[in-house]
Amino acid sequence: MNFNIPFKNSSRLSHLAESPVPVHGRQKPKASSRITLLVSLLTLGSMLLSACGSSANQSSGSNSFPANASNANGTASASNGETSSAQAADTKLRILSSNVGGKTPEEMKRFEEEIKRLTGIEVTIEKPASDYDQKVLTALGSGEKYDLIEGSDLGKLNMFIDQGVTTDLTDFVQGSKELSDPTVVPTEEWDQLKGKDGHIYAVFSKFQGGTMPIVRKDWLDKLHLQEPKTLDDYYNVLKAFAERDPDGNGKKDTYGLSTSGLYDIQGFMSAAGLKYRYVMKDGKRTIPYASDAAIPMYEWFAKLTKEGILDPNFVTNDTAKMRNLFLTDRVGMITYWDAWVGMLNNTRQEEDPNTSFQAEAVAGAEGPDGKIMLRRGDPDYWMVPANAEHVEAAEKFLEFWHSEPGIILGSLGIEGEDYTKDNGTYTLTETGKEHGMDHGVPFWYNENVKAPFDKLPGVQAAQDLVKQYATLELSLPEWSDAEKIVTNYALKAMSGSMPAADAVKQMQKELKAANLIDE
Amino acid sequence: MLKTWRKYGALYLMMIPVICYFLVYGYYPLARGLQISFQDYRLIGNRPYIGFDNYGTVWHDPNFWKSLTNTLVIGGGSLVCGFLAPLIIALSLNEVLKSWFKKTAQMLLYVPHLLSWVVVGGMWIYLLSPDTGLVNLLLQRTLDIPPVHFLAESGWARVVMILVATWKDMGYNCILFLAGIVAINPSLYEAARLDGATRWQQVRYVTLPQIQSTMKVVLLLNTLGLLRIFDQVFILRNNSTAPDVDVLMYYTYQKGILDFHVGVAAAASVLVLIFTLLLTLIVRKLTRFDEV
Repeated sequence: MNFNIPFKNSSRLSHLAESPVPVHGRQKPKASSRITLLVSLLTLGSMLLSACGSSANQSSGSNSFPANASNANGTASASNGETSSAQAADTKLRILSSNVGGKTPEEMKRFEEEIKRLTGIEVTIEKPASDYDQKVLTALGSGEKYDLIEGSDLGKLNMFIDQGVTTDLTDFVQGSKELSDPTVVPTEEWDQLKGKDGHIYAVFSKFQGGTMPIVRKDWLDKLHLQEPKTLDDYYNVLKAFAERDPDGNGKKDTYGLSTSGLYDIQGFMSAAGLKYRYVMKDGKRTIPYASDAAIPMYEWFAKLTKEGILDPNFVTNDTAKMRNLFLTDRVGMITYWDAWVGMLNNTRQEEDPNTSFQAEAVAGAEGPDGKIMLRRGDPDYWMVPANAEHVEAAEKFLEFWHSEPGIILGSLGIEGEDYTKDNGTYTLTETGKEHGMDHGVPFWYNENVKAPFDKLPGVQAAQDLVKQYATLELSLPEWSDAEKIVTNYALKAMSGSMPAADAVKQMQKELKAANLIDE
Repeated sequence: MLKTWRKYGALYLMMIPVICYFLVYGYYPLARGLQISFQDYRLIGNRPYIGFDNYGTVWHDPNFWKSLTNTLVIGGGSLVCGFLAPLIIALSLNEVLKSWFKKTAQMLLYVPHLLSWVVVGGMWIYLLSPDTGLVNLLLQRTLDIPPVHFLAESGWARVVMILVATWKDMGYNCILFLAGIVAINPSLYEAARLDGATRWQQVRYVTLPQIQSTMKVVLLLNTLGLLRIFDQVFILRNNSTAPDVDVLMYYTYQKGILDFHVGVAAAASVLVLIFTLLLTLIVRKLTRFDEV
């Protein structure tokens, strides 16, 4: 989820270095003095502006919030009055984030102040409005110094590790009373954030769920259908959605299924036991979606396309278009994130409290051995860049982020703005309701922190499916090249513009020629 | 020298910001790009020089050559259509006597040029949709043709790219041609008419030769942008048509921004620059641009 918050960046002034201009003759003193005057004015202007900037920073640094630091768990300690200048420097933190923080520039400022109130750390959070990955790359490439950078792609984390961008956090995580606690972050979860050398290079920013088919439960009930379990069940349900007028408007204007490209059809490919991305088999790189076993699955999709059951725009859809089709009664099933089950239900209920709309997550199709395969999403994480200037403050913040005050801040938001607390009872304000209890941490690992409010309808059941069936995918560095080939031919086969057998054959040929698979 | 400085000193001072702008935002990145193309570029840490290795990687990458082919096909098609279509429309509009019609047509043709590719792309994705798109509805209702997924079928992808690009920039080039036509001396037409020239002969022997210089400028400007197509492809591409429409700038974007192989991306950019230079020189030579 990206929120369109205008990018807030600190402006910096650079001084213009000028070489002396050689001039001759009688006019020399006059011309020279003019240039000198101009340069002096420019320099003076720059200095004045710089001074204003510093003074503004200083004043914001010495605001009225006490530099206190104790939170509920007592984890993040505060700087006190005896803080030395070196320590004071380390209570600053510059963060580049894609999700964490306020929803508007004004709220972001209050978010930063709230962190300072809770931890004593003076934080600056920069949240680009768009093109986050580009911003990260240009910031790192140009030598900008951040203390924490948020990421959400394990493939990219591996590239960052390879390029020496990230700090090894193994000692910190293992030595941290908070983070090494398996009730705060389950021990096995750390494997996701390890490099090839087995060291930990990042810390989770929230709990990331997974994706699965999401069905219109009210349509199922209306058409007296059972939740699908096998691929044949899925076909029957989707066909009924497309042909039996589930929205009751007397028109044949609904589709059974919509997806966004190849994005998460894992729940269906599960029927053939096929996992997305790479799977290592006897030390060899294989891509199950490019294997012969995938042919019947692509043929199944092609059949859906041919019979008008699958939304024909699935190749060009983005996820927003897919969700809109679902929300506007045009399609009975989509494939998307667990958290969105709740958001879809909530959106329709806010529009019409009497709506019969009911989105529900369903487990994918059973494989030949009865096994179901869903996709666990790549986790969101914090990394400390190798050029970070305030590593200690970053580590302190990471511990805070996984403690109760950090989790409440990252989910509910700012006390007094997003919620109020009275005798331990939380109440969301109108602003808080608008913000949907998500300031970067809609869900978390820490089992000791109980959610102040119930999850949105349908989310818990979806998350239970993730926990039961979803596994992470293996993303090797060459996947971005392989993915282009796989998706290209898979989409052609699914849309029926190429026979599935030919598509898979061509896929295998190109993947082998480019040395992207071993088998 | 001193006299000149005294006389034009203020103007030279005014030029300083412009020169600084080009040095900082034009030539410095160019020089840095060239430097990076010879480095094993890491985001943080050492960046050792590795000679021509990045160029070798690009040269031996089949995706680069596939992207070059796509660029030449899509860019070349857009160049030809984007040159001929506005020329024909400008000549036609010149024949229209009703000035309100001429102005309205000009305005309507120019509007797409003002829109960003995000808007234009989104609009055409919607218009070309196989179920609710206007184009398919018209084809179905008038010619009984089953829905065509223009943006998902390889055969159509490049054609759509060329036509949409031509549609978007037609108004701009049309105005350049019309400006050239307006500047033609009316006595030439009068002389032609006295010689008994028909409307077509007036166009053929007066208008076209007289706007030759404008045509050369438009052609050269469009050639300069031929290898730099990006926004359109970024918006309209999808994984199904990627092998047919991914162009050189997208290749650079993918290598640099998505895959973090900045050195390889820089090498590809330098090659694009060299290709553009060669292409421009060829067009200059062929059109005898210096004789404008």
